[in-house]
Amino acid sequence: MSADVSAVDRPAEAVGPIALPVRPWRPSRWMREVAWRHIVAVLACFFALFPVIWVVSASINPTGSIAAQQLIPREPTLDNFRELLNETSYTQWLLNSVMIAGVASALQVALGAHAAYAFSRLRFHGRRAGLVAILLIQMFPQLLAVVAIFLMMNNIGDVFPQIGLGTQAGVILVYLGGALSINTWMMKGFFDTIPRELDETAKVDGASHAQIFYLVVLPLVRPVLAVIGLLAFVFAFNEFIIASALLQGSDAETLPIGLFTFIDERYGSRWGPFAAGALMGGVPIIVLFLFLQRYIISGLTAGSVKG
Amino acid sequence: MAWQERFSATTFSGTIAKLLLLGVSNALAISALPQLWSARAWQGLVAVALATVAIDVVYLSGRHVPLKYLLPGTLFLLSFQAYPVVYNAYVAFTNFGTGNILTQDQALEQVLRRSVAIPEDAVRYAATPLVDDAGSLAVLLVAPDGSQQLGTPDGLSAVDPADVVIDGSRVASVGPWRRLTLGQATDREDEVLGFRVPTGEGEIRLQSFTQAALAEQLLVHDPATDTLTNTQDGAVYLAAEGFYRTDDGQRLTPGWRVFVGFENFNRVLGSEAIRGPFLRVFAWTFVFAVLSVLLTFALGLFLAITLNDPRVRGLKYYRAVMIIPYALPSFMTALIWAGLLNQDFGIVNRLLGTDVNWLGDPWLAKASILLVNTWLGFPYMFLISLGALQAIPTDLREAAFIDGASGYKAFRFVTLPLVLVATGPILISSFAFNFNNFNVIYLLTGGGPPIVGAQTPAGHTDILISYTYRLAFETGRGNDWGLASAVAVLIFLIVALFSIVSFRQTRALEEVN
Repeated sequence: MSADVSAVDRPAEAVGPIALPVRPWRPSRWMREVAWRHIVAVLACFFALFPVIWVVSASINPTGSIAAQQLIPREPTLDNFRELLNETSYTQWLLNSVMIAGVASALQVALGAHAAYAFSRLRFHGRRAGLVAILLIQMFPQLLAVVAIFLMMNNIGDVFPQIGLGTQAGVILVYLGGALSINTWMMKGFFDTIPRELDETAKVDGASHAQIFYLVVLPLVRPVLAVIGLLAFVFAFNEFIIASALLQGSDAETLPIGLFTFIDERYGSRWGPFAAGALMGGVPIIVLFLFLQRYIISGLTAGSVKG
Repeated sequence: MAWQERFSATTFSGTIAKLLLLGVSNALAISALPQLWSARAWQGLVAVALATVAIDVVYLSGRHVPLKYLLPGTLFLLSFQAYPVVYNAYVAFTNFGTGNILTQDQALEQVLRRSVAIPEDAVRYAATPLVDDAGSLAVLLVAPDGSQQLGTPDGLSAVDPADVVIDGSRVASVGPWRRLTLGQATDREDEVLGFRVPTGEGEIRLQSFTQAALAEQLLVHDPATDTLTNTQDGAVYLAAEGFYRTDDGQRLTPGWRVFVGFENFNRVLGSEAIRGPFLRVFAWTFVFAVLSVLLTFALGLFLAITLNDPRVRGLKYYRAVMIIPYALPSFMTALIWAGLLNQDFGIVNRLLGTDVNWLGDPWLAKASILLVNTWLGFPYMFLISLGALQAIPTDLREAAFIDGASGYKAFRFVTLPLVLVATGPILISSFAFNFNNFNVIYLLTGGGPPIVGAQTPAGHTDILISYTYRLAFETGRGNDWGLASAVAVLIFLIVALFSIVSFRQTRALEEVN
C-alpha cells in the first residue's frame, strides 16, 4: 500500500522498478491525467460524508426539528445531547450494547481460537468432515432461524428466567452459537501460517498440547484474534433482528432497538436528539476502525463481511 | 532452558484452572437438572445431562485431545445454530402462532374456564355486598324462595336469621359483616362486581350492587370421545386441527398446536393472495442482492482504478474518509438515511426543492434502498479492489502495452480478469450477505410501501428475511410462526442450492485441508 509515495513534483525519480521514460513535468499534462482523479476522489468523499455532515449538523442545531435545520447553525447547542441523555434510556441502551457485544465477542474469540487450534494443529478422525461442516454451516446465517430462536428462548425462559427472553445472557448465548463457524474458519487459516516447527520444538522441551496452545501459539496469533474480536464486536453491536426478537420491551434493549423505537418515524420532532445519539454511538466505532484500518483490510481480504 | 521451566511451572496451575472450570460446569448442571425435571422439560433434561457427561468424560480422561478444544464450540453450535434450524423445520409443519400456542390440555382447561356463563333462565338472587373489619368482601344472597345464604370466595354458607340486623328496609350487618355503603362499593367497584362465589355447579356472580345470578359451566367435556357439549343448546364441539369446533365451523378459543403437514407450504405456494406477494418478495430479493453487489463493486472498482495511480497523492486520506460509511454501524446508517429521505422533513427534498415521496413510492423506495446500500457497500469494495489492483504485478500491464494494447484493452483483458479472480469469492459472500441484509430494508423502509391486496404483511421492498420477520412478529391478526417458519425453510433451501452451485464452481470443498 505504498501508492502514494512517489510524487508528481519529483519527476526525475523513476516510478517503480521498471523505469518509464522520464518526462518533464507539465501542468497541462498533469491536469489531463491526474487532476480528474482528484476530482473523482473528492466527489466520492463528498458522497461518503454527505449523511455524516448532516447528522453532525443536526446534533448541534438548536431547533430539534429537521425541517428548520441549517447546515451550520447560527447558535450551536448541546441541547439535543442533553435531551437524549435525560429523557431516554440512551445510556442504558449503550451500556447494554457494549456489555452484550463485549462479552459475546470475547467468548467468541476464545471458542473460535480453541477450535481453530484443533483443526490447524491436531490430526484426528473426522477432521476434514468437521471442516467441511463448518464451511457449509457458515453459509446459513443464524438470523434465518430467528422464529425458532425466539420460540426456543421463550421455552428456555420458562424454566430458567435468567437466560430467557429479555435477558442479556440469552442474547449472548445465541450470538456464541451463530458466529462460531466463520470465526473458526478464518482463524484456522491464520493458524496455518504459523510454522509447525515451533510446536515441535516446544514438544521436545516437554510442553503438553495445552501449553503449546496457550504459551506458544496464542501469543503469535494475537493479530487475528484482535481483528476477529473487533469484527465480532461490531457485528453484535449492529445486530438488530435477533436482539429485537428477544429483547423488545425489556430493560436489556440494545442501542439499535432503542434508537429505532425512539425515532419511530417521528423525524419531524426527534431528529436532533436522534442525530446526537447516532454520533455518540457511531463515532467510537469509526475511530476504532480508523486505528485498526490496516488489520481490518487484511481481514477483509480474507473473506469476512461486516454485518 | 527457560521454556522447559515455564512448561513445568504452568502444569500445576493449568490443572487447577481445569478442575475449577469443571466444578463450575457440573455445579450448574446439577442445579439445572431438578428445575428441568419439575418443569417436565424432557428434551432440555436429556440435553443438559448428555452435555455434562460429555464434558466430564472429555476433560477428565487423558485421551480425546482434539475434543478438549472442540467440545465447547460444538456444544454452542449444536444448541444455538443447529437445533434452531431443526426446530424451525418442525414449527413449519405446525399451526404454531397466536391462538395456537398451548398444548391441548392447557387449551381445554382455558376453554372450560371461559365457558362459565349466566344462562337466560339463571337462578337470580337479591344481593347485599358486605365487608368485615379486615376489609374482606362477602355477599348476602337472598334466593327467589326467600332463603338466605352468605357467599364468600370459599363458597356458600348458611346464615342464622338471628344474625341478620335490619336497618329500615335494608340489611345493616350479618354477624361480623357490615353492609358496604354505596360510597365504599363505588370505590371498590371492580372488586365488588368481579366477586365470585363458587358453588357445586358453577359460580354466583354479582351483576350489579344489588343483584347476583348463578353462572353455570356451559360446556361439558367427554374424555372418551374428546368432545365438548354445550348444555344449553346441545351443540357438540369436536377436537380437530387444533381447535374444538362444530361441524358448521364454529370454533372455541384458544386452540392448541398440532401438526398440519404441508398446510403452511400450501398456503405460501398455493393461495393466490399469499403466493403473489411472496413471489414478488422472492424476485426482489434476488434483484436487490445482485444489483447491490454490482453497483457497489462497479463504483468501488472505478474509484480504485482511478486512484491507483502513483501520481495521485493523498490516497491515504481519501481512503480514511471513504472508510467512514463502512465503519458507521449499519443500523444507524439506515435510520439516518431514512431521515434524510423523509418526504416532509428530509434534507434531500429540501436541497432539491422537491416534494418526492422517496420511501413511499414502490419504485422510488427500491431505488432509495439501492442508493443507500451502495453508499454502505462501496467503501468495502473500494478497499478490496484497491488491494487486488496493488497485488497485480506492474510488468503484466507493461507487457500488454509493449504488445500494442490500448489502455482499455489492457484493462479489459489483463487487469479486470486478475481483479475478478482475486475478488470473486468476496463478491459471492457479498451476495450471500445482501440476500439476508435485514437492517437496510427493515430500518429504511420497514419493507414498505405495502403491496395492495396482500393477505400477509408484504411490502414492495421486503426481502425474504424481512418478510419472514414481519410474518412472525408483526401481523395485525397475531403472529403466524408456522407460516413464517415455512418461509424460512424455503429460504434455507434456496441458500442451500446456491451454496452447492458456488462450491461446485469454486471447488472450495475439495481444497479443504
